[in-house]
Amino acid sequence: MNIPLRRAAYAILGAFVVLVGSIGYIQAVEGPNLRDDPRNPRVVAWRTGRQRGPIVSADGVALANSTPSISDPKLYERQYPEGDLYAHTVGFNSVLYGSSGVERTRSADLVSDRDSTISGVLTGLLGGDTRPRGVRLTIIHALQMVAAEALGTQKGSVVAVDPTTGAILAMVTYPRFDPNHLIGPDAGSAGQILETDPADPLRNRAIDQTYAPGSVFKVITTASGLDSGLVSPSSEFDDPIALELPGTESTISNYSDKVCDDGTSVSLELAFVRSCNTVFAQLGMDLGGNQLGLTASAFGFNAEIPFEFSVLISRFPRPATIENDPAATAQSAIGQRDDRATPLLMALTAAAVANNGTVMAPYLVEEIFTSEGTIESSTETAIWRRAMSPASAAALSDMMEQVVISGTGRKAAVPGIRIAGKTGTTEVTGEAPHAWFIGFGPVGAGSDIPQIAIAVVVESGGDFGESATGGSVAAPIAQQVLAAFFGV
Amino acid sequence: MTRRAETGLIIASALLAAIGVAIVEFTRGNWLNAQVALTFLAFAMSFGAMQFAITRWATGASSLLLPIASFLTSVGFIEIYRIDSDLAALQRWSLLIAAVSGAVLLWILRDSGCAVLRRYRYVILAIGVGFLLLPLLPDAWPIHGSTVNGSRLWVRIDVPGTSRVLSFQPGELAKVLITVFLASYLAERADAMSVVDRKIGPFKFPEPRHLGPVLIAAGAAFLVLIYQRDLGASLLLFGIFIGMLYIATGRSFYVMVGTVLAVIAAFAAYSAFDHVQRRIEAWIDPFGHYSDAGYQTVQGLFAMGSGALTGSGIGLGRPDLIPAATTDFIFAAVAEEMGLAGSLAVLAGFGLLVAAGFGVALRSRDRFRKYLAGGLTIVIGLQAIIILGGVLRLLPITGLTLPFMSYGGSSLLANMVIIALLLRVSHEERL
Repeated sequence: MNIPLRRAAYAILGAFVVLVGSIGYIQAVEGPNLRDDPRNPRVVAWRTGRQRGPIVSADGVALANSTPSISDPKLYERQYPEGDLYAHTVGFNSVLYGSSGVERTRSADLVSDRDSTISGVLTGLLGGDTRPRGVRLTIIHALQMVAAEALGTQKGSVVAVDPTTGAILAMVTYPRFDPNHLIGPDAGSAGQILETDPADPLRNRAIDQTYAPGSVFKVITTASGLDSGLVSPSSEFDDPIALELPGTESTISNYSDKVCDDGTSVSLELAFVRSCNTVFAQLGMDLGGNQLGLTASAFGFNAEIPFEFSVLISRFPRPATIENDPAATAQSAIGQRDDRATPLLMALTAAAVANNGTVMAPYLVEEIFTSEGTIESSTETAIWRRAMSPASAAALSDMMEQVVISGTGRKAAVPGIRIAGKTGTTEVTGEAPHAWFIGFGPVGAGSDIPQIAIAVVVESGGDFGESATGGSVAAPIAQQVLAAFFGV
Repeated sequence: MTRRAETGLIIASALLAAIGVAIVEFTRGNWLNAQVALTFLAFAMSFGAMQFAITRWATGASSLLLPIASFLTSVGFIEIYRIDSDLAALQRWSLLIAAVSGAVLLWILRDSGCAVLRRYRYVILAIGVGFLLLPLLPDAWPIHGSTVNGSRLWVRIDVPGTSRVLSFQPGELAKVLITVFLASYLAERADAMSVVDRKIGPFKFPEPRHLGPVLIAAGAAFLVLIYQRDLGASLLLFGIFIGMLYIATGRSFYVMVGTVLAVIAAFAAYSAFDHVQRRIEAWIDPFGHYSDAGYQTVQGLFAMGSGALTGSGIGLGRPDLIPAATTDFIFAAVAEEMGLAGSLAVLAGFGLLVAAGFGVALRSRDRFRKYLAGGLTIVIGLQAIIILGGVLRLLPITGLTLPFMSYGGSSLLANMVIIALLLRVSHEERL
């Protein structure tokens, strides 16, 4: 009489076992997929709907804000008032595309502590401040605007850094995108357009793109020569119309296809000011690939730059590949062949000269502040590398100042401010040359120490095309930024 | 388990509900408030009243049932409170009324025992069927049916002289009354019905007249399906009929005939009704019907998936995004905020409750009480399986409340009556 009852019980309890398996599968196995499904409104609500702290520039301009949503007062909407200007630094926080920039790296500070974690609950219970924190960047908005305007619609990048601290003062890349479009209702189509755009507006060219550095690399070659004691600024070099490369049929000539000075001999300083390839190719061969490679490493080539975001590693050929190949060494010494550098590293190269040979670790976030405005933590500056001796840096500084006074970098001159710089015009096969300028100011010591170092790169000649040079395209951009910085 | 342990577990459940409410208030930025105390009081008083009734009028009753019922009620209540605190306030009153009703039922049965139910079985059947048909009353009448979400399950009573309306789902109680009737009917007829010796070809059949109840069951369930458009209730009703026939006769013949009838009915319903078609399609591919019929299922899946192992935390998820989160989809809300840990606890609770209910039935010496306890346990178990299967996408979604956990006074009342009857049956075995 109890047998059918038992069977019914087993059937129902068996069904519960199936339910247990099913809920286990849904929550433990399928859970992450369901949670992250873009149609899941929780994704919108929690990833983007929470209040996030503000992100402001060094001069206090709001770069990212959260305001209560009109449709649902419990949710917040994120705005980027400066549009595309900070798309690659502030970044975005999007349902569809995740987060990027400081929005990603400082997300833990930007969202409220009042969450389900034990520490969050305890902090709240103990009366601690669980409201989202704000992030202050090192970027000066006024400078960022000038840099963006100076670069205009030319592909490339402008990076400005405080040489004594490593604080990034401006970081502009073009083309850009408006992060507001990636968080709105049309985020899907806007993102697709960006992802398929051949101009690659999603790429931060300041850190995620390397270019052959060309003649700006001569700063490093010179530093190598000075540091190793092989040469001084007054050392004399032969002045051929073209330098024959040993073991090859090819030659290296100067940009103008002329001699550097009088055709007999030329000083290192004058060659630097006029950016003569023949002299620096010869210096490179005299130094050898090994020595050159050591100096390049000291400046940060082949190394990861410690930064808010991961930075593409800049490359200088390994000594083994060029040590017994004078031709390759010669080309590497003038920033061609396989040399590749990010604009950020080139800005740090200028900063190294400005800061007595010491490279500070670059940083983008000045401080984290509470909702009441008090500073919770601020970034401590740190030395990243010692690129060269202070004496070499001082000598290079003088040479670079001459570049702006009388050489290829005259268009970077700022009235009343001693500016140092170096131009570069990179030969690119089948394309117009990339135009480079790196520099800093004011040149000096004591109370008049350099306050800003800058790197400008304009891809494929920019608006000038084939006729572009570092001096004609990049230097004027740097000039505008420097002039704005010094209030001239 | 002793009465003392039972008391302890009831208080623990009341504390659970109160702590849940406190957590919800905390996530809203509030401190402990009156809601926490009111919740504790409501739970302690409700289940306390039931236990008081046990100690007075059913001293031998099983001590397993009340703690599990109070646990499930608490977990469901926390989510109701989290989703809609106003509903939760009403639910507290419903709980008190339901529990007091259960206690009163124990008092009514104190001397006569379950046997009195047997004596009045046709009255009970009449009331049960009447309740079932009550929602069909025309809208213009003072007591009238009401169509909600396409199903005509509700009855509303216009309170004279005011604009207030009392509404309840008589179907919830009807299933209990019909189960009581079936238990007593089968206690007399089971022996005759279990004779299956008429051969037609290779198949054996019982006497044709014994097939009557099965066909009545199928007919009643199908009528409910057609007129009230309630898939869940008709499936449940049908399952109760077939399940009780099986436990009474031990003949799988009835289960097979029932299954065949159910499949035919399902096909008929599928081809006849658009809303059934949409539900089936949304069941097979809910994501493909995301914007219409599959929306609720998908939102439930999103909620459960987002909960993952440990859940978002009470008050920190978004169960309010699920349609019918306080009623049919309360389980998805629990799963989101309490995670797999919480959902497994709920399933374990139902498993224990069903096991305890069948335990009562197995120990019964009297046929009627055995079928009654077994049938009532099937009601709870099957109802949980049908709605949980729908939420978990094992079955098409059908509107049913999850016993003890869903918001709804009628549902709570019916389930408390079931618990009271199970308690009484278990008591009578010890007499």
